[in-house]
Amino acid sequence: MIRFDNVTKVYDQTARPALDSVSLEIERGEFAFLVGASGSGKSTFLRLVLKEDKATRGTVYVAGQNVANISSWRVPRLRRGIGVVFQDFRLLPNKTVFANVAFAMQVIGRSRGIIRETVPEVLKTVGLEGKGHRMPHELSGGEQQRVAIARAVVNKPGILLADEPTGNLDPTTSQGIMSVLDKINQNGTTVVMATHDDDIVNSMRKRVIELRGGTVVRDEARALYTSMIPAVKEAGR
Amino acid sequence: MRLAFILSEIGGGLRRNLSMVVSVILVTFVSLTFVGAAGLLQLQIQQMKGFWYDKVQVAVFLCVSNSTAPSCASGPVTKEQRANIEAMLKSPAVSQYVANYQYESQADALKHFKEQFANSPIVDSVSADQLPESFRINLVNPEKYPIINETFSSTPGVDTVVDQRQLLEKLFTFMNGASLVAVGIAGVMIICAILLIATTIRLSAFSRRRETGIMRLVGASKMVIQLPFILEGVIAAVVGAVLASVTLWAVLRFFVGDTLAQQFKDTPFISSSQVLLVSPLLIGLGVVLAGVSSLLTLRRYLKV
Repeated sequence: MIRFDNVTKVYDQTARPALDSVSLEIERGEFAFLVGASGSGKSTFLRLVLKEDKATRGTVYVAGQNVANISSWRVPRLRRGIGVVFQDFRLLPNKTVFANVAFAMQVIGRSRGIIRETVPEVLKTVGLEGKGHRMPHELSGGEQQRVAIARAVVNKPGILLADEPTGNLDPTTSQGIMSVLDKINQNGTTVVMATHDDDIVNSMRKRVIELRGGTVVRDEARALYTSMIPAVKEAGR
Repeated sequence: MRLAFILSEIGGGLRRNLSMVVSVILVTFVSLTFVGAAGLLQLQIQQMKGFWYDKVQVAVFLCVSNSTAPSCASGPVTKEQRANIEAMLKSPAVSQYVANYQYESQADALKHFKEQFANSPIVDSVSADQLPESFRINLVNPEKYPIINETFSSTPGVDTVVDQRQLLEKLFTFMNGASLVAVGIAGVMIICAILLIATTIRLSAFSRRRETGIMRLVGASKMVIQLPFILEGVIAAVVGAVLASVTLWAVLRFFVGDTLAQQFKDTPFISSSQVLLVSPLLIGLGVVLAGVSSLLTLRRYLKV
């Protein structure tokens, strides 16, 4: 679903690259954590998938398509196939929960009937049944993030990118969000989640891709936040 | 659905930026009023030039029944007198100065008069026999007008010899100067309008960056994202252009029509309906101004 082929991204010629010849593949329907310190390249990875940035070298494939070959007027079509969730929710404060989710459908020209049918369904999936008329500020952080997830998946994207979705939430609420993401993943959506949250990674036991300084230093299935392979000191030290 | 959505976006944007939108309306209103005024001055010049101005320089008017010139003592011009005058025009002494000439009968004169004074009440009270016949002469060298004047002014059957250019030239110079000033002011105001539209769109894009950011992420097309901004500018500019047209219409209707035309009855004036010729241009200009400046601004400030 997502494939990076020797991808390098340089923002500033004088500094080290944000991503340094990264090659990896995330299969359709997979759930992958992207872990690593700030500045390790997680956000750059997500931006490249969305074609918000262009890879300096190498090729990024999303849903079998080389994103470098997607012309600028077809980028929206690429993004319709990708849902995104952020740490800061990014809801529209002057719209109700329903309108926030419906917004994602309106801007791509869905009919009113389809919107009225789909939005409540999606709100139910994320556990916000009957809260469509609330305003974002009337909701808890966890509920706001559920709205953001609903908005991200309402157009049924094949991929869901989550950039530290639990970063602003307490552990219990975070678990709730994770079960929503897990449910969405089980419905067939590929989920890539960048996170710092070790508890969550440890409890989910999914694939973990660890970035450090722009390179992949670990890529394990059903892994923990920190490597289970003990660091072996070099001989003679 | 999409149309309704875009319309509601535009409505929201206009409300949120009301003071900026009002200033865009006012600036385009003032600048387009000046553009329109320059256009109407040119139309007025055309109107005053009448049928002959661009074609000939000198008119030799022949006597009618109420002419008072000494050469008209014998009453209206006779067939012989007219033939004599035409023969003089063809004689080598005169024809070396004449590039060509045309004869205007009383019926032709009435026709041309009616065209020129179409907007004046005078037109209904004039009949063909009140208007003089004339020879309209195009000179090889317009400076030689005095020769023609001397030759014909005392010929029997000739009422007056008029150099129309000299009469109107000064007035037209003044009016052309006024149009140039109007165009100059309009130019400055148009630059103002362009910059103001750009600033307004920038502010609007900034205050709606959350919405546009989300629109981008969920894959809204460039058109859906940008159209509300462009249309906001275009709507404001069109409102300004309409205000300018209404103002010009009011000036023509109440100042020119009711005041000037009453005072200067023998001058042909353009009518207020002639704003209809100018206002589509003003609206078109407003749309182009707003459209182009918002497109350029969006390219910089609203990445899609």
